[in-house]
Amino acid sequence: MSSRRSRQSSSGASRISDDQIIQLISKLQQLLPGTRIQRSNKASASKVLHETCNYVKSLHREVDDLSDRLSQLLSTIDADSPEASIVRSLIM
Amino acid sequence: MHTSSMLKKEFLKKWIKGLQICYSSNKKMDLVERKNKIKLSADIAMASAKKPATCWSNALIFNAKENKQDKVLVSKILEPESQLQKSRDRIMSVNKRVECKKILKRSCNCGKRMKKKDLATLVVAKRLVKKRTKVLKKLVPGGGSIMNELSLIKEALDYILCLKVQVDVMRSVVTAAENTYIYRT
Repeated sequence: MSSRRSRQSSSGASRISDDQIIQLISKLQQLLPGTRIQRSNKASASKVLHETCNYVKSLHREVDDLSDRLSQLLSTIDADSPEASIVRSLIM
Repeated sequence: MHTSSMLKKEFLKKWIKGLQICYSSNKKMDLVERKNKIKLSADIAMASAKKPATCWSNALIFNAKENKQDKVLVSKILEPESQLQKSRDRIMSVNKRVECKKILKRSCNCGKRMKKKDLATLVVAKRLVKKRTKVLKKLVPGGGSIMNELSLIKEALDYILCLKVQVDVMRSVVTAAENTYIYRT
């Protein structure tokens, strides 16, 4: 008897969090670039997670690339003083 | 959006502060080192601009402090928040210990059996979701210590929003600086 009750309560708890997960996944979908057609829950969940991972990776790459460009810019203007002062006033 | 423009301002302020510190302290830096410092300043600025603090922002700052080289820069960017930061760091170190214990516990556990009709497709779908969740855990800072799938997705949502802000601000600063430089030469 007690095992059945505990099984019920655990499945009840997982049902609630399943709904929440579905909600969050739909929110994630909205954030991602490009639109997707939602089919079934589990299938789109893994797809959305996959897209999310790709998106995070691409954002990381962009940060990397922008830091690269800025570092190159700052290094090239080290020598010249009028340009350095302008960029410095812009950045700092 | 209200909060995102405030976040942008906070991030920009702190990032510029970090850049100033880098620029003033050591003039002879090679390209890679400078780029890493810029990137680190941006990440720390974003993590500290994020209020209220989230798991990923705490993890980011904590991990950066672990590296001895970056510790000074990180603490200078975070300057007026030392008290709050100390308590966050304490929480993070506790979390890390808990995480190690949980990993040990999980490795000793045996797998459970499922009794459902569409076993094959369900198993495949679950496996895929598990696989993707693992990858996401590695991408989001501090993801390894998040055991709950729900919280992981919440953190990922928040992290993506902040990353977008970071990229937007960085892009505008860098293109503006490049255009200024090109225009002058």
